[in-house]
Amino acid sequence: MEHLILPLVIFFPSIGALLLLLVPERQADTIRGVSLIVSFVTMLLSFAVYYWFDPVASGMQFELNQLWIASVGINFHLGIDGISLLLIVLTTILTVLCILSSWRSVTKGVKGFHISMLVLATGMIGVFCALDLFLFYIFWEVMLIPMYFIIGIWGGPRKIYAAIKFVLFTMIGSLLMLVALIYIYFEFHSLTGEYSFDLLQIMSMQVPYQAQLWLFAAFALAFAIKVPLFPFHTWLPDAHVEAPTAGSVILAGVLLKMGTYGFIRICMPLFPEATIAYLPYICILSIIAIIYGALVSMVQKDIKSLVAFSSVSHMGFVMLGLFALNQNGVEGSVMQMINHGVSTGALFLLVGMIYERRHTRMIADFGGLAKVMPAFSVFFMIVTLSSIGLPLTNGFVGEFLILLGAFKANVVYGIVAASGVILAACYMLWMYQRVVFGKVTNAQNEKLSDLSPREKLILVPIVVLIFWIGIYPKPFFERIEPAVKDVLTKINGARLSSADDGQDAAQMFIDESKEISTVVIDEGVTADE
Amino acid sequence: MVPISAYLILAAVLFGIGSVGVLVSRNMIIMFMSVELMLNAANMALVAFSRALNLMDGHVIVFLVLTIAAAEAAVGLALIVALFRNRESVDIDRFNLMKW
Amino acid sequence: MEAQLPPYSIKMMLPELFLFVWALVVITFDLLTRRKSGSAVGYLAMLGLVICGGILSITGYGRGFGMMFINDPVAVFFKVIFLGAAFMAIGSSFGITNRKIVNHRGEYFGLILLSTVGMMFLASSQELLSLYIGLELTTIPLFVLAGFFKDDRKSVESGIKYMIMGALSSALLLYGISFLYGLSGTTDIVQMKINLAVTQLANEGDIGVILILATVTILAGIGFKLALPPFHQWAPDVYEGSPTPIAAFLSVGSKAAGIVAFVKIMMLGLEAFYDPVMKPNDWGILVGVLAIAAMVWGNVAAVRQSNIKRMLAFSSIAQAGYIMIGMVAMNQYGLAAVGFYTFVYMFANMGAFAIVTVVEDQTGSCKISSYAGLSRTSPFLSAALAVFLLSLAGIPPLAGFFAKYYVFAAAIAMAGSSNGHTWLYWLVGVGLLTTVFALYYYANVIKTAYFAREASPYRLRPLRPALLVIAIGLLGVLIFGVVPETIVDFARDLPYYIAH
Repeated sequence: MEHLILPLVIFFPSIGALLLLLVPERQADTIRGVSLIVSFVTMLLSFAVYYWFDPVASGMQFELNQLWIASVGINFHLGIDGISLLLIVLTTILTVLCILSSWRSVTKGVKGFHISMLVLATGMIGVFCALDLFLFYIFWEVMLIPMYFIIGIWGGPRKIYAAIKFVLFTMIGSLLMLVALIYIYFEFHSLTGEYSFDLLQIMSMQVPYQAQLWLFAAFALAFAIKVPLFPFHTWLPDAHVEAPTAGSVILAGVLLKMGTYGFIRICMPLFPEATIAYLPYICILSIIAIIYGALVSMVQKDIKSLVAFSSVSHMGFVMLGLFALNQNGVEGSVMQMINHGVSTGALFLLVGMIYERRHTRMIADFGGLAKVMPAFSVFFMIVTLSSIGLPLTNGFVGEFLILLGAFKANVVYGIVAASGVILAACYMLWMYQRVVFGKVTNAQNEKLSDLSPREKLILVPIVVLIFWIGIYPKPFFERIEPAVKDVLTKINGARLSSADDGQDAAQMFIDESKEISTVVIDEGVTADE
Repeated sequence: MVPISAYLILAAVLFGIGSVGVLVSRNMIIMFMSVELMLNAANMALVAFSRALNLMDGHVIVFLVLTIAAAEAAVGLALIVALFRNRESVDIDRFNLMKW
Repeated sequence: MEAQLPPYSIKMMLPELFLFVWALVVITFDLLTRRKSGSAVGYLAMLGLVICGGILSITGYGRGFGMMFINDPVAVFFKVIFLGAAFMAIGSSFGITNRKIVNHRGEYFGLILLSTVGMMFLASSQELLSLYIGLELTTIPLFVLAGFFKDDRKSVESGIKYMIMGALSSALLLYGISFLYGLSGTTDIVQMKINLAVTQLANEGDIGVILILATVTILAGIGFKLALPPFHQWAPDVYEGSPTPIAAFLSVGSKAAGIVAFVKIMMLGLEAFYDPVMKPNDWGILVGVLAIAAMVWGNVAAVRQSNIKRMLAFSSIAQAGYIMIGMVAMNQYGLAAVGFYTFVYMFANMGAFAIVTVVEDQTGSCKISSYAGLSRTSPFLSAALAVFLLSLAGIPPLAGFFAKYYVFAAAIAMAGSSNGHTWLYWLVGVGLLTTVFALYYYANVIKTAYFAREASPYRLRPLRPALLVIAIGLLGVLIFGVVPETIVDFARDLPYYIAH
C-alpha cells in the first residue's frame, strides 16, 4: 500500500477529471460536488502520506521505480523527502480551497474549469514526486496547458495576452531544460555505459566543471522564470492579475514553488560546483527582486497586482535563503515556500471575495470595510500580518531563518534583505489601512455583506495553518531537516574539493554517495517485487 | 567518336534552358514544355552514360521515363484545359487567387 | 542468401498488387452503379486499405525481383504510415464527395488508392529506376486530386501549380539519378554505394564535381517533395486550393514518400559521403541548412496566416524541418526518430485536417476566425482539435512531444560524439527556439476556439467516418504519448537496415 500511495495521490485527481467528463454540462452543482469530493479525498490521501512519512529517515521514501520506456531508459520513478512532502500537502489543501472558492465565481464552463483544476493538481503533485528527470519534465509541462485555459477562459479583461505570455515564457525556459536533460542523459551514458534519466543515479555522477556551468544555466533559467527571479518576472503580474481567483492562488501558492523546488532538487545537488560559481549572481538578483518587488508593490493601485508584486519580493527571500547554502537559510526558505503559499494564497482568496461583491479591486474604491465586513477584516488582518512576517505567525519563522542564514553567509546581503522586510510591512499595512480603516467613503461599500459560512470555511484552515506554523513549527522542520542536510552535504563536498585541491576527498564522497543511491535503488526495486 | 563529355554538356545546356524556361516564362504551356525539356535532358545524360559504360540499364530507364512523361503530359494538359475553361487564359500572372 | 530466394518472388508484392486491383474495382464499382454508389464506394476503398494492411502483415520481410523489390523494416514501417494516411484521408472525404463531386466519387477514391500504391512501391524499391517510377505513380494521381474540383478556380489553379512543381522536381531528381548512374554504372542502390566507395578510394577520396552536382539536384528534387525552403512556395497555395482531405494526404502521405526517397538515396546510397571528413562531398551540412530554413521560415510564416489550411501548410513545412534533424543525425537513433516522428505526425496532422474538413463542410470557410467560440457548441471537436495542435506543437504527454524528443536526442547524441558534428547543436538550438513560435500559432487557434466571448453560430455535426478518423487520430496521439515504447521498438529495427 505504501508504495502505491504516491501514484494514487498523483492520479486520483485525473481519474476524477475523467469522471467529470461523464457528467453533463448542465448539472453544474454535481460537477462542483464531484470535483470537491475528489480534491478532498486527494487531500486526505496526502495527509495519509504525511502520517506514514518517517521524519527521522534520510533519503527518499515511498519509492516506486517502474520501467516505463525501457529502450530509452526512462523510468516511472517516484519518491518524496520532507521538502516534497510539505509541498504536496500544501498543493492538495490549496486545491480544495480553490475549488471551494470558485463555487459561485465560476459560472460559465464549469465542467472545463474543474477538469482543468484537477489535471493541474495531477501535474503539480507529479512534479514534486518525480525522481526521474524525464518524468519531472513531463509533469512540469502537463501543468502548462490547464493553466493556459484557466487564465485564458476564466480570466480578467486582458486574459488572452496574459495567458499567451505565461505559456511562452514558461515554454522557453522548459525547452532549455529539455536540452540540458538530454545532454546529461548522454553524458551519463558516456560515463557509465547506461542510459538513465534517474535523478538519484545521475546525482552520483561527477559532471565536468565546464559542462556544469552550461547545464546549471539552462536549468536555472527554466526555474528562474518560474520563481520568478528578477529580470524574468514580467509574466507574473499579468498572469496573476488576469487569472481568476483560483488560478492566482494556484499560481502563487504552488507554481512559483516549483521553480525554487527545482533549484533545490535538481540544480544544487546535480551541479554543486556550478552552484558555487553562480552563487553571487543569483544572490544579487534575489536581493534586487526583494527590493524591486517591494518598491513596485508600494505604488500599485490594484490590490491584486500589489499582492502579485509582493510575491516577487517574497520569492526573492526564498531564493536568497536557498543560496545562503547553510542549514538555517535553506530550511528557512523551504519553510517560506510553504508560508508564501499559505499567506499569499489567502490574500488572493480574500481579494477574490471582495471582488465578487464589488467587481473592483482598486484600493481607492474601498475604505472603512472594518465597519461593514468585520469578519472579513479580521481574517484580512491575520493574513496581512502573516505575510509581513510578524512573530507568532508563520511568516516570521521562515523569514527569520532566511535572514539568519543570509547574515551567516554574507553580512551585506543580510542587511539589504532585511530592509525588504521593513518595506513589506510598509506596503502591506498601508494597503490594509486604506482598504479597511477610515470612513466608508464610497456609498456602494455600505451594503456589502460579510463573509458567508462557505467563505469562512475556506479561511479557517488557513488561519489554523498560519498560527500552527508560527507557534509550533517543529513537526515541519523535523521533516525538512534530513532532506536539507543531504543537499548541503553534496554542496559542501564540492566546496571542500575546490578549496583544498581535495581530489581524493571529492572522489571518496562521490563513491560514498553512489553507494548510498544504489542501495536506495535496490531497496526500491526489491520492495516493488 | 564523340566523347561522352560532349553529350553531357549538351544535356546540361538543355537542362539549363529548361529550368530557366520554368522560372522565367509566364505562359503555362511554355512552362510545361520547359519541364519536358528538362526531363529529356536527363534522358540524354542517361543514354550517354549507358553508352559510355556499355550497359543496357540506361536505355531501359529512358523508355520508362518517356512513358511517365507522357502520363504527366496527359494530366497536365487536361488541367490546363480545365483552367482555360475557367479563365480564358494560360498566363500565370493571372492565376493570383492565392498568393503564389 | 541471394541464391536461396526465388528470383521473382511475387508474394512480396501482394499488398501493392491487391491495392492496385482494388483501386480499379472501386472505380468500376462506381461506374457499374451508374454513379449512384453513395457512400458505399468510400467504405469500399477504406475496406480495401484495411485488407491491404492485413495482407501486409502476413507478407513478412524478404525480396522479390532480384534486388528491385525489398520488404524490409523500413519499407513495412512506412507502408503502414501510407495506408494509415490514405485511410484517414478517405475517411474525412465523405462530406466533400457527397456534396461537391457526386459524379466522380469512384475516380476520387480510386486515385487516392493508386497514389498509395505508388508510395508503397517507392518504399519497397531498392533501385533507382523503380524508386523514380514509384515516386511518379505517387504524384501523378495527386495532380489530378489537387485539381479535382474542376469548376473551382482555386482548386484547378492549385492542381496546375502542384503539377508544374512536381514535374520540375521529378526532372531534377531524374537528372541527379542519371549522374549517379553514370558514376557508379548501376541502378541498384546498395551496389551503387559500393561502387562509389571503390571509385572514391581509387581517386584518393575525391570523385569530383559530378557527385556534388548529383547530390545537389537530388536534394533539390526531394526538397520540392518535402517542401523544404527554398523549394516550398507551392505548398501553401496547393494546400489552400486543393480539397482539404487531399491537402492532408499531401502533407502526410506525399511527405512520408519524400522521406522514404531521401532515406533510400541519401542515407543508404550516399551514406559514405555524409562523413564531414570527406568534404567537399558532405551533404549533411547542406541538409542541415535546409532544415534550419524550413524550421525558421515555416514557423515564422505560419504565425501570420489567417487561413487555417495555409497555417497547417507552413506548419508542415516546419515539421519536415524537424524530421530532417533526425535525418542528418545519421546515427542509431536518427532513423528511428524519423520513423516515430512521421508515424505520430500522421495521427496529429490527419486528425487536425479532418476537423478542418468538418468545419469547412459546415461553415464553408477555412478562416481561423470562423473557429471562434466553437468550444461552446462543439466541445468534443474543439477539444480534439486542441489535442492535435498541442501534439504538433510538442507538448507532453502527447505523442508529438516524444517525437520531438527523439529527434533532438538523436542530434545531441551525434553532436557530442565527434568534433565534426558539433554543428548539430545549432540545429537543435534553432529547433527549440522555433518550437516556441510554433506553440504561439497553434495556441492562437485554440485561443480562437476557446477564449471567444460569443458562442459560435455553428454546431458541428461530423459524418460517422470523419468521427472515426478523429477518434483514430486522438487514440494515436494519446496512446503513443503514454506508451511510445511499442512504436519506438519497431522503429528501432530500422537502423539495422542501414548498417547492412
